[in-house]
Amino acid sequence: MRKKIAKFALTLGFIGILAACGAKSFDSSKSISVTTREDGSGTKSAFMELIGLKGQSDVSNVVVATGTAAVMQEVAGNYYALAYDSLGYVTSDVKKLEVDGVEATTANIKSGTYAISRPLSVIYKAAPVSSSALDASYLTFLKSSDAQTIISNNGYVSLTDAATAYTANGSLSGTIEVSGSTSLQPLMILLAAQYEASQAHVTVEVSGGGTGTGYTNAENGVSAFGMISAEFDATKAPDCVSSIVAKDGIAVIVNPSNPLTSVSKTELKNIYDNTESDATKIKTWSQLMSA
Amino acid sequence: MPTSSLRYRTFREKAMKGLFFLSAAFSLLALGAIIAYLFASGIPFIAKVGFFSFFFSTTWAPLATIPQYGVFAMVLTTLYVTALSVAIGASIGLLAAICLFRFVPSRFVTPLRWLIDLLAGIPSVIYGLFGLIVIVPFIRDYVSTNGMGYGILAASLVLSIMILPTMVSVSYDALKAVSPLYYEGALALGASREEATFKIVLPAAKSGIFAGLVLSSGRALGETMAVIMVIGGSPQLPVSLTESVRTLTANIAMGASELTSDALSALVATGVVLFVFALILNLSFSFLRGKESGHV
Repeated sequence: MRKKIAKFALTLGFIGILAACGAKSFDSSKSISVTTREDGSGTKSAFMELIGLKGQSDVSNVVVATGTAAVMQEVAGNYYALAYDSLGYVTSDVKKLEVDGVEATTANIKSGTYAISRPLSVIYKAAPVSSSALDASYLTFLKSSDAQTIISNNGYVSLTDAATAYTANGSLSGTIEVSGSTSLQPLMILLAAQYEASQAHVTVEVSGGGTGTGYTNAENGVSAFGMISAEFDATKAPDCVSSIVAKDGIAVIVNPSNPLTSVSKTELKNIYDNTESDATKIKTWSQLMSA
Repeated sequence: MPTSSLRYRTFREKAMKGLFFLSAAFSLLALGAIIAYLFASGIPFIAKVGFFSFFFSTTWAPLATIPQYGVFAMVLTTLYVTALSVAIGASIGLLAAICLFRFVPSRFVTPLRWLIDLLAGIPSVIYGLFGLIVIVPFIRDYVSTNGMGYGILAASLVLSIMILPTMVSVSYDALKAVSPLYYEGALALGASREEATFKIVLPAAKSGIFAGLVLSSGRALGETMAVIMVIGGSPQLPVSLTESVRTLTANIAMGASELTSDALSALVATGVVLFVFALILNLSFSFLRGKESGHV
């Protein structure tokens, strides 16, 4: 009998614990769970450079999310997470913060008022690409009005004004290889699909790997085009030239339950800076909210 | 006709012999190639950075303006994670094996073992997902004092589940291999079932159980995917169980597709360190197994 009662109490207690999991509200005295990307990520190097921390190592106790999807998952599931990600990847599961009072929108990125934005480019070796009708036509397509429509319809910022429509060349056939930055990859897949629709005999293979892969693959001729998501650094691929496909803003994101609406670039720098002294370091959410 | 058939048979025999030889040579060649690659590109890098600063510096910042390659924090994290997960997993595994061996009715043993073995067949990324979605938020909200769910505790819990099947089946087989006469003899001398199991049979199965421990450590040491998803990933010295840290395996996997030149060599050098750890574990396993077979 006693055993039965003990068992019953134990079961009740367990159910209680499980039920408690669901109900918790935002507590601003908790510390900020600072989230970043892995070393070598184009988004990370662009973000660190844009907030003024180029080439610095990570702040202590940072959570490293490998890939943009992992960042989304972390922020959507953690009340106290603070992260950044390409605007094109931000879903409604997370909340964007204004930076210096400017909202992360397409218009603000194009006009240059939003502080944290960067170019997304393809890099290629000039001579082989211009001599190959196939590769050259893809480059023309990327600058065409068809491509610009896709770019702006998907949250990226088109920089090519007054573009003309792409005219398909029926004699082309073969495969075009594009690889590199996972920030440009989702857009490139959409662009490639549109191009393939007009060029029935051409296949465009788009693969990821990161900006680092984009540089090495283009430089070593593994793929005709490499995708990069930071300012082109000619020392990493001396034989290549670059062409901007679109501009991408990096949004600063928090959990939807977080009441904070705006953050300044200075505060971001403080949070992500590993050299900031302990006394002036922003650690909790209430510190950000009172500021 | 008979001669040609004979010639065909000798030919076939020789051909098959060659094929078997090639297969054996291939696996040796693969081993040799991996070792040669690791050491040829890892050791010169360690030498370049300096043996002492590579192993005992705690700053890992391969892409910083002044790059630093210190693996000490990650070595320490790896050892902590391995030790804690083996401590949890092996205790549960050993008790489960004893339970299966002595206290579960024999008709349930086979289905139960099958179910436990099923754990071994689950891909590690699924363990990682479980850790990320269930264990990490639980630790963050109810266990951690600093609001961090990632870290050594989360990784060790996930790994302890992953090493259960290894520990259970190796210890169960070790217990099974002990002659039943030990157990019956103990009972005949007036020992209880518990005493006979824990004080007589368990010590007799000692070396087999140690082998299980070593195998489990190897699994915990080398696991990458599940660990990456719950460890946090900051390459800092571990001072708390709930704090973002990074193991050697996570370090390699996080950077392998993104890093180039020196930073990539640094990863290979990390691989050398990991390889040496795995080698030590494997050697001690063979040593224990040798001892066991000599003993019985």
